[in-house]
Amino acid sequence: MNFDLSEEQQLVQDSVARFIQDNYDLEARQATVNGSDDFNKNHWATMAELGWLGLTLPEAHGGFGGNQIDAMVIMEQFGKGLVLEPFFASIVLGARAVSLAGSEDQCGKLLPGVIDGSRQLALGYAEEQARFDMHDVVTRAQAEGDGYVINGRKSMVQHGGTADQIIISARTSGGQSDTNGISLFIIDADTDGLTVTGFPTVDGLAAAEVELKDVSVGADALLGELDSGYKILEAVAIDGILAVCAEAVGAMEMLYKDTVEYTQEREQFDHPLADFQVLQHRMVEMFMEYEQCKSLLYRATLEVVQNGTEALRTVHALKHFVGKTGIFIGENAVQLHGGMGVTEELRIGHYFKRLLVIDAQFGNSDYHLQQFAA
Amino acid sequence: MDINLSQQDLEFRTEVREFLSSNAYKNGEDYNAWRMGWFAKAREKGGWDVPKWPTEFGGPGWTPTQHYIWEQETAEIGTPFDLPFGLGMLAPVLMNYGSKEQQDRFLPDIRDRKVNWCQGYSEPGAGSDLANLKTKAELTDDGKHYIVNGTKIWTTLAHIADWIFCLTRTSDTGKKQEGITFLLFPMKQEGVEVKPIITLGGSHTVNMVHFTDVKVPVENRVGEQDKGWTYAKGLLQHERTGLAGISRSIVALEKLKEQATSVKRGNGTLMDDPAFRTKVAELEVDLMAVEFTELRSLAAAAGGGEPGPESSILKLKGTEIQQRIQKLTVEAGGIFSAAWGAMPVGPHFARGGMSGYLSSRAYTIYGGASEVQKDVVAKNVLGIKKSTK
Repeated sequence: MNFDLSEEQQLVQDSVARFIQDNYDLEARQATVNGSDDFNKNHWATMAELGWLGLTLPEAHGGFGGNQIDAMVIMEQFGKGLVLEPFFASIVLGARAVSLAGSEDQCGKLLPGVIDGSRQLALGYAEEQARFDMHDVVTRAQAEGDGYVINGRKSMVQHGGTADQIIISARTSGGQSDTNGISLFIIDADTDGLTVTGFPTVDGLAAAEVELKDVSVGADALLGELDSGYKILEAVAIDGILAVCAEAVGAMEMLYKDTVEYTQEREQFDHPLADFQVLQHRMVEMFMEYEQCKSLLYRATLEVVQNGTEALRTVHALKHFVGKTGIFIGENAVQLHGGMGVTEELRIGHYFKRLLVIDAQFGNSDYHLQQFAA
Repeated sequence: MDINLSQQDLEFRTEVREFLSSNAYKNGEDYNAWRMGWFAKAREKGGWDVPKWPTEFGGPGWTPTQHYIWEQETAEIGTPFDLPFGLGMLAPVLMNYGSKEQQDRFLPDIRDRKVNWCQGYSEPGAGSDLANLKTKAELTDDGKHYIVNGTKIWTTLAHIADWIFCLTRTSDTGKKQEGITFLLFPMKQEGVEVKPIITLGGSHTVNMVHFTDVKVPVENRVGEQDKGWTYAKGLLQHERTGLAGISRSIVALEKLKEQATSVKRGNGTLMDDPAFRTKVAELEVDLMAVEFTELRSLAAAAGGGEPGPESSILKLKGTEIQQRIQKLTVEAGGIFSAAWGAMPVGPHFARGGMSGYLSSRAYTIYGGASEVQKDVVAKNVLGIKKSTK
C-alpha cells in the first residue's frame, strides 16, 4: 500500500505544474476567455507535443496506455490553473468512448489525430428533460438502408462548438428511460442537418447545443454495439467523474491556500484577519474538507483502476462529497476575502465558478448521494 | 500508487485473524480467567499483549501497516477489556524519560495488568488550558519528599486506580509551562480523597480527586523537577492520535444499519425512510473519506516519512463521526430511547443507545477539545502565526 506517484507520474505532474506556472496566471487566462477563440490553440499544440493528449489512450494507436491515475495527475494540476483547453471533452470523454467501444477502423481513423491535437472530439450525452439521467434519451435514431437517420437535440455538450466529431447518444429501441436501447453514434460536425450552436459557460469554458434534423449517417457511425450504448456511457462517465473531481481537488487547494495567505495580509481593526479565531477555524474546516476530498479521490481512483465499474459506489461517494465540499470551500473563500471576494479581479471567484459547474456535471451532490444510498 | 496490502501484510493479517478467532471469548467462560489467559498467549506471540511498545521493552516492533491491520481486526473480533492509562499513556513516558529503576519497578506490573493507573492532569481551573494547573508539590526541607496539595478533576476511573501519574506545580516563576513536575504515587493512602462525578449517560467513570498533604518520595518523580510539561506534551500527542477510532466506527456503522433495518416502518424499515437513509449515507461517505485519510497518513509513516498535514484531522473527524453514529442510534430507537434503566421496552439497542450517545458528547472535549485542536491545526498546519499586535 502506498500513495506515492511513480517516477513517470511525478515527471508528468512537474511538467504540467510548470506549464500552469508559466502560462496560466489569471490575466493570461482571462485574455483567452474574453478572446474570440474558446481556448488557446498554442497551448493545445503544446499539450499534444508534450504527450499529454495521448497519455491515457491505447498504445496501439499512438498513446501511452496510461490509466485513471495518470488522468488524475494531469487534471489536478489543470484545476489549479483553471485550464480552458478541451482535454476533458476530447480526451477523457470523447477519445475514451472511442477507445472503449470503437472498432479497429474507428480507432485508427480518429485516435491518432486526437493524440496529435489536430482532431477534437466531444460527447453529447445530456438532454433537457433528462436532468442527470443519462438513460433518459428521446433523441431517436431510425435504421434506414445501411445506416441511420437521427432526430433530436443534445444539450450542454462541453466544447461541442469546436469539435470535429461529436459522439451522441440516441434511442434505437425501448422506452424513454430504458437503459437498454441506447446507441452511440460518431457524427462529423459538418454533416447535413446537424446544427451546433456554441456558447460560453459561467466558468469560462464553452459548451454547445446540438440539434439533429434528419441527420443521415452510415452504419460505420455506430460506436459499439447497437442498443448497448448506455454501458459505454456509464464507463466513460466514471472516468469523467474521476477527472472533474481531480480538477476540483486542485481548485480547492488553491482556494484554501489563497484564503490563508490573504487573511494574513489584510488588516482590519488593527489586526490581520487571520488573528481572528472565528476565521482561523473556518479555514481549518476548509483545509480538512479539502484533505477529505483528496482521500476519497485517491480511494475512488485506485478502486476504479483495480475493479472497474464495480467501484461505482465509491465513485458516487466521491462525486457527492466533491460537489458539497467544493461549494463549501468556494463560498467560504469568497466570504473570507470580503468585498474583494466578489470581484472578477481575484482568482478565487473563478475557482468558485468552476466548482459550481463541476458539481452539476454528471449529476450533482444530492443525485450521487441518492445513488450511493440506493 | 497501490491500494493493496503486500503479501507479507496479508500473511500477517491471516495470522492475526487466526489468533483472535482461536482465542475468542466463549459463552459461559470465566471472564477474568479468559482475559488473563488471552494476554499470556498474546505475549507468547512475541509482544502482542503490548502492541505499541517498542521491541526493547518487549513489544512486537510492528510496522505502521501492521498496527493498522491489528486495529481493523480487533475492531471486528474484540480483545479483552483493557485500560489505556498505564499501558498507553504512562508507559511511553517512563520509557522515554523514566530512570532504569522506575522502568523496572513499574513497567512489568503495567504489562501484567496488575496495577491500574489513572491520569492526574485536568483541574477545575485547567481544562483546555492545561498548563494553568495549580496542584502544588513542595519539596520537604530534607529534600526527600514532595508534599502534594490540590484538586484534580475528570480523573477517569480514579475510584478503581491503584496509582496516579500526576502533573503538579513546583514553581510559579516564568512561563506557566515551566515549573510543572511529573509525579507518581499510590491512590490508596491518607490525604487522597476521590469523589464521584456522574455524567449525562448516568455512569460513574470520572471523579474529582482532592490531595491533602500527600507525601510522595522524590524517587517517584519522573525526569527533572519543573520539566514535567515536556514529558506530558509528548503523551498528549500520543493520546490524540489514538482517539479517532476509525476501525471501530466502521464496525459500529454496519451495526447501526442492521439496527435500523430491524425497525419496521409501514411496509418497509427505517432504512427506507429517505431522511434517515440520507443521514446514514452522508455519514458513511465521511467515514470512507476519513478511513483513507488515515491510510494516507499511515502510508507516509510506513514509508519512513513524516505524517503529512492530513493526519492532524483524524481526531477531529474521527470523534465527530463516532458521535454521529451514536446520535443516529438514538434516532433509530425513537421514543424507546427515552426508557431509562432496565425496563425492557422497544428494540433491544434502544436501551444502551441514549447513554452511549450522551457519553459520546465527551469525545470532542477530552484529549484536547475540538476547538483547541483547530487552534493547533491553524498554527501548525496552516502556518497562521499570531501577529504581534
